[in-house]
Amino acid sequence: MSDILSIEYEKYLLDNGLEVILYPERSLPLISVNLWYRVGSANETEGKTGFAHLFEHMMFQGSKHVPKQMHFKYIQEAGGQLNGSTSLDRTNYYQSLPSNYLELALWLESDRMGFLIPALNQEKLDNQIDVVKNERRQRYDNAPYGLAWEKIFSNLYPKAHPYHWPTIGWMEDISNINLSDVKNFFHTYYIPNNATLVIGGDINKNRAKDLVERYFGNIARGNEFQQVKAEAPELKENLMLLHEDNVSLSRIYLVWHSSEAYKEGDAEMDILSYILAGSKNSRLYKKLVFESELAQDITAFEHSSRLSGDFIIIATAKPGISLDKLKKEIIDEINLIFENGLKEEELMKAKNNIRASFIYSMQNINSLTNRINEYNFYLNEPDSFSFDLKRYQQVDLERLYKKSLEYLSKPFLELRITPLKKSEGI
Amino acid sequence: MEVNRTQKPQPRGKISFTLPKIEKMNLENGLEILFVQKKNLPIIQFTFVSDAGSRLDPNEKKGISNLLAALIDEGAGGLDSLRLNDEIESLGSSISIFSDPDNFFISMLTLTENIDRSLDLLSKIIIRPNLDETDFLREKRKILTRIQQLKDDPSYIASIIFEKLVYGENNPYGLPDTGTTTTVGRINLNDVKLFYETLLTSDNTTLIVVGNYEREPLLEKLNQYLKDWHRYTPPVFDMPATIQKGSTIYFINKENASQTELRIGHVSSGRNAEDFFAKSVMNNILGGQFSSRININLREDKGYTYGANSSFSYNRTGGYFGVGTAVKSENTGSSVVEIIKELKGIQDYITTKELRFAKSSIIRKYPSLFETYGQIGRSLANKVIHSLSDDYYNRYIDNIKAVTLDDVYAAARNNIFPEKLIILAVGERDLLLGQLESLAIGKVIELNIDGHLES
Repeated sequence: MSDILSIEYEKYLLDNGLEVILYPERSLPLISVNLWYRVGSANETEGKTGFAHLFEHMMFQGSKHVPKQMHFKYIQEAGGQLNGSTSLDRTNYYQSLPSNYLELALWLESDRMGFLIPALNQEKLDNQIDVVKNERRQRYDNAPYGLAWEKIFSNLYPKAHPYHWPTIGWMEDISNINLSDVKNFFHTYYIPNNATLVIGGDINKNRAKDLVERYFGNIARGNEFQQVKAEAPELKENLMLLHEDNVSLSRIYLVWHSSEAYKEGDAEMDILSYILAGSKNSRLYKKLVFESELAQDITAFEHSSRLSGDFIIIATAKPGISLDKLKKEIIDEINLIFENGLKEEELMKAKNNIRASFIYSMQNINSLTNRINEYNFYLNEPDSFSFDLKRYQQVDLERLYKKSLEYLSKPFLELRITPLKKSEGI
Repeated sequence: MEVNRTQKPQPRGKISFTLPKIEKMNLENGLEILFVQKKNLPIIQFTFVSDAGSRLDPNEKKGISNLLAALIDEGAGGLDSLRLNDEIESLGSSISIFSDPDNFFISMLTLTENIDRSLDLLSKIIIRPNLDETDFLREKRKILTRIQQLKDDPSYIASIIFEKLVYGENNPYGLPDTGTTTTVGRINLNDVKLFYETLLTSDNTTLIVVGNYEREPLLEKLNQYLKDWHRYTPPVFDMPATIQKGSTIYFINKENASQTELRIGHVSSGRNAEDFFAKSVMNNILGGQFSSRININLREDKGYTYGANSSFSYNRTGGYFGVGTAVKSENTGSSVVEIIKELKGIQDYITTKELRFAKSSIIRKYPSLFETYGQIGRSLANKVIHSLSDDYYNRYIDNIKAVTLDDVYAAARNNIFPEKLIILAVGERDLLLGQLESLAIGKVIELNIDGHLES
């Protein structure tokens, strides 16, 4: 088992500060190129939200040597798959390709790192602002319960905290993004010394190194900047939010502040989420969905990032069941944990499942290189698969209990989404 | 080390790729097994594919197959629901059971170290499910609530009503596989039991195994656990659907919608049609991927949408062609115009450059479709579902390579009917109706959320 969870890699820096990690894994003729920039929506400011994400879109609009629309086309023509994503802490770009196309991927990634600005214009920006506004409509405004996240985070985190706004940004801010802001953003954050390039799969290390140096080596180092800092937020008292949506069933969200990603308490809360709602026999699922049928569904999870984390329980009420009732049942169950603790058997099952899903998750080279980048970002050690699994295996009942009590006995945020009240006679 | 950035780098040599070897085995009770050995991780995946999808539900009781999928692992072989689930969970095995219009899938992913216990539990579920009344009633209530809940989602409504319009209400593919509130309401436990007994049988099922195991010991174990599975060969079904005579615009009001969900298309030929490969290449140019015409037009040129695509969907018998997108309400009319323009355009001009791009993309992507245990399993499932030949995957690349420009034109002209479209828009009435009427395609027919005429 341990040798599956240990990877051989080489990590080094280019002179311009670009961090490079090579991970040869030659079972299939595929490569994955995964680039993380250490910038996310947390680097934005009030009034200029949605920037990091819109910028991710602009990165696919071509660069000095790559005409508009050709970035996608070149990769797809080579049989590759590509995308990017933006979170609170980072933005990533990834592509998998047949292994004889490594140079193509490096050419494209380096061209947009070094030469994006000369190809940027108002027309491209206007177009992508429209696209992103449609993305926001489709995934948030027009999706059932789609506004839950921004309601929660903008209330859970104070205005000054970098997690206060949604990653996709407020609609009004997206409309107002201008070209000079985009250029400044690029010069501040899209610099080699703020990025890590992971190349995994069927590669020859010497050749990969040579290509990386050739394509990225002469991109100028950028100015260092101060990474965002923030105090761990605290709720002084319980917060209740109400929202009406175009839905037929009421849903309740209960949210507590918990631990930062990979810090003490994070693994414990992952395990607790499994014990509460991870299976048919989990405490809340069994009680509310299986036995009493008060809930149509219930989930719990730990959502953690660099500056802070949150523990979230979501339950949808069956028709005719009040959210008061549902909430009471959930809180009662949590109090039961406070009173009687948790059982060894529950802990074991959670650990078994986490271990198995760890192994299941190692099938795909794109997700492996992304994990390597994630471990490097949060733990400064790419080969942390064993460490990560051990975080879970080392949790005992006492620690689990202590952390559950520590986080869940504090004030929490409660969001209730209920069906729109329809006007009579229509 | 200066590098010339003005030139797109060329690939370095050719890659060599060997398709996973598919081995066929049979149990005495008629169960056919397709096995691919894959060794890099200590895991094994079993997928039972039965020809027992919702198209075999009687239309007035649509939803039986889906209900069986919810019920079949609610206790089996003397274990009650919670106990059975607890056993599976303790192994860290993950089980997934669902049905679609054509198939019933029971799938389990497990660590090889747990193969015996996993197969034991899996065989209990398949051969001796409890199908108990209390569990049935609970799962039925859950599904009825789910059906109500699904109607919140404009994208879901658009997709299921579009299928209903394309196939026609009386066609077995015309209703969603979950059934409707009315049809599920009519289902009783005996309906589900009958469905199980006649359709979830050893000779109506293929078992797909992908994993880190040797063939002989595997066969031995499968024999041990599955030999008691009952046999029965169900009758064959066939259900043609017809293309309508002209285009029709349908519209469903969704109050407060901030976008319009659009579905445009018609019935099309089945998976075994001779021009399948030409259709695939053609659709790759038209709307099959990000760089295809429809997405570039609607998203990258016009900014109407976050994404738009077209596809041929294939059922065991027949299939349909559809374009799907969600657009800003104000752009609904223009989006329909642009989509129709693209459907006509693909019949009028296709460049050799586009053809080369599409073929290159499909061919070079091919090895990556066999990366994970799940992906290999899905390819094998497709072979079963669509009765593909044994050398289908070996010949796939040659078949794509052989597609000519004439073939692609023919595929477009014979399979896309821009004058005989079903056009469905789901969105806010006040913002949409005027735009749809001014398209001059014909009368705009308003439907309610269940796809019935609004009276």
